[in-house]
Amino acid sequence: MMATRFDRWLNTLGAWTLALIWFLPLIYAVWTAIHPGAYATRFELFAPLTLENFSNAWNAAPFARYFLNSFLLVTFILIGQFVLCTLAAYAFVRFTFPGRGILFALVLLQLLVMPDILIVENYATMRKLGLVDTIAAIGLPYIASGFGIFLLRQTFKTVPKELEEAARIEGAGPLTVLWRVYVPLAKPTYLAYGLVSVSHHWNNFLWPLIVTNSVETRPVTVGLSIFSSVDQGVDWSIINAATLMTSGPLLIAFLLFQRQFVQSFMRAGIR
Amino acid sequence: MTFLKTMTTTLSAAALLASTAGSALAVDLQFFFPVAVGGKAADTIQALTDEYAAANPDVKIDAVYAGSYQDTITKTLTAAKGGTPPQLSVILAVDMFSLIEEDAIIPFDGLAKTDEDKAWLTSFYPAFMANSMTGGKTYGIPFQRSTPVLYWNKEAFKDAGLDPNTPPATWEEMVEFGKKLTKTDSNGNVTQWGVRIPSSGFPYWLFQGLTTQNDVILANDAGNKTNFDDPKVAEALQFLVDLSVKHKVMQPGIVEWGSTPKAFFEGQAAMIWTTTGNLTNVRDNAPFDFGVAMLPANKRRGAPTGGGNFYIFKDSTDEQKAASFDFIKWITAPEQAAKWTIATGYVAPRADTWETPAMKDYVAGFPQALVARDQLEYAVAELATYQNQRITTIFNDALEAAITGTKTPADALKEAQAQAEAILKDYR
Repeated sequence: MMATRFDRWLNTLGAWTLALIWFLPLIYAVWTAIHPGAYATRFELFAPLTLENFSNAWNAAPFARYFLNSFLLVTFILIGQFVLCTLAAYAFVRFTFPGRGILFALVLLQLLVMPDILIVENYATMRKLGLVDTIAAIGLPYIASGFGIFLLRQTFKTVPKELEEAARIEGAGPLTVLWRVYVPLAKPTYLAYGLVSVSHHWNNFLWPLIVTNSVETRPVTVGLSIFSSVDQGVDWSIINAATLMTSGPLLIAFLLFQRQFVQSFMRAGIR
Repeated sequence: MTFLKTMTTTLSAAALLASTAGSALAVDLQFFFPVAVGGKAADTIQALTDEYAAANPDVKIDAVYAGSYQDTITKTLTAAKGGTPPQLSVILAVDMFSLIEEDAIIPFDGLAKTDEDKAWLTSFYPAFMANSMTGGKTYGIPFQRSTPVLYWNKEAFKDAGLDPNTPPATWEEMVEFGKKLTKTDSNGNVTQWGVRIPSSGFPYWLFQGLTTQNDVILANDAGNKTNFDDPKVAEALQFLVDLSVKHKVMQPGIVEWGSTPKAFFEGQAAMIWTTTGNLTNVRDNAPFDFGVAMLPANKRRGAPTGGGNFYIFKDSTDEQKAASFDFIKWITAPEQAAKWTIATGYVAPRADTWETPAMKDYVAGFPQALVARDQLEYAVAELATYQNQRITTIFNDALEAAITGTKTPADALKEAQAQAEAILKDYR
């Protein structure tokens, strides 16, 4: 009895410590963002509050347009990935066709290749397609996601064959089976994978910077980079204001849907 | 109906395109630029290109912000390999050898047709051209060039009983002043360091100030042989290490580059070494009277140059190359260069820029701006070799190992030289 209580106490303490450590940078960011630059490195409880850092950051680049671009980008990628990965995973799970093993090995191989290595090749492809400097060019290389296919295949495999057979007897074709049986059962996986995908592409920097040239196509991360000016020294207040601003939508979305996300991660087995 | 309408619109648009292409010799230029000094610099470049475009309606310039210097060369080389290089770009002067090796750029000499153009090529400060020429050809035109200088806090000097108007002229004086300026509180914690030479990220640059002052050059002009294991280099590194270990006038360990100006403003360091690119920032934000001086001397005075040059890319039409040449000539002309220098603090790369009324007004109110220009007389080329990224990484790692105390300066440098030798011997 004593031991379990001590155990629980220890667990709680550990959780709180970890949570605090995780949270500290965010607290620091909030602190510097809402105070004048002079208070960036010292703590004074009643330091004057200001929103000036946010307005300065907002005005330093066309962020409204960048937000729209980022939003279009992650939506486009997410929809593309869902459609493509669902169909591919379904094919790998429920159909036998020649070369299936090799194809799946190729998909797995994609997990091992760093996307950065392919930048030059991807750029050349986008140029041949005439897509350089478009939002589609930022997203296309990521649509056929090896990770997504793999993850959905594993999830689909756990769906009992009986459910599919029952649907077949009711007269459902292969696509109806996919839509009515597999997709609904894999919802937690979609949610978890969607979160990973959205946050990854919201934060991606190098590839969007390379393949785009104009304000109309660039995402927020590229706008954010103008604040990291090494020659001049770093202004933490403005950087943190801009960082909070750009990561804000994701943070808010996560806090709102926190419970669903955590549950779907548990079920989907990504941690 | 809708289909027909679309067809006619498309056709008329195509006809319009054909007619404009036929009538005027419109030239499209794409221009990549990095920003290392804050958001305002990007606005200044945009304003300058707009001004040029307004005066030259037949040229369309698309100025594209390309991130940091590192991002810019990645973006440019990727675009070049993908078959659509920009027509011109500002890239680090030290990346010249890499760009030549990739066969991405062309020398300016072939584009200089008239005597006036040829004279223009030789009108820049020689210290800046040292990083812009190789094999007798000019590959880069100095634009956002800088050099490190010493900034000192006059109030801190006064408080320490030093003459607020005399900066240290030699290494010994810097140590001596530093000892007076280093203050500790009652708990023994240092509240103000005497001197701060940042060493994070690219320590080789400021360290090159020390080696030059110790009268040794780190690499040859051809960019294929380094000199890291010279005893004088080790001596300079020992001095840098001694500043924190022996003399205790500098914060020990790796000193952050980005927060150096802030540390200066907040009185955590009384003297800092940093780029002239910071001049405008320090002027706007230092809450006390400050001075700017040349770096202190040892065997001689000395500093490296730094920053970015204009390059013209190979894979464009002759009209585009000629237009790029013309644009670069325009933007580096005195009037435009003066605007750029005043907005950023970069050193105007030609002597005649300093004669313009705008610059004269500027230095009259702010004589500190002249220090960097005067230091050019003693400046040497920034460390640049073939495989520049790899060589500087090797060198930086050696410096960091010595600064953090994991290796002795001599050992670290000997290893770095051996590694650099293995890479560079193929280029001789």
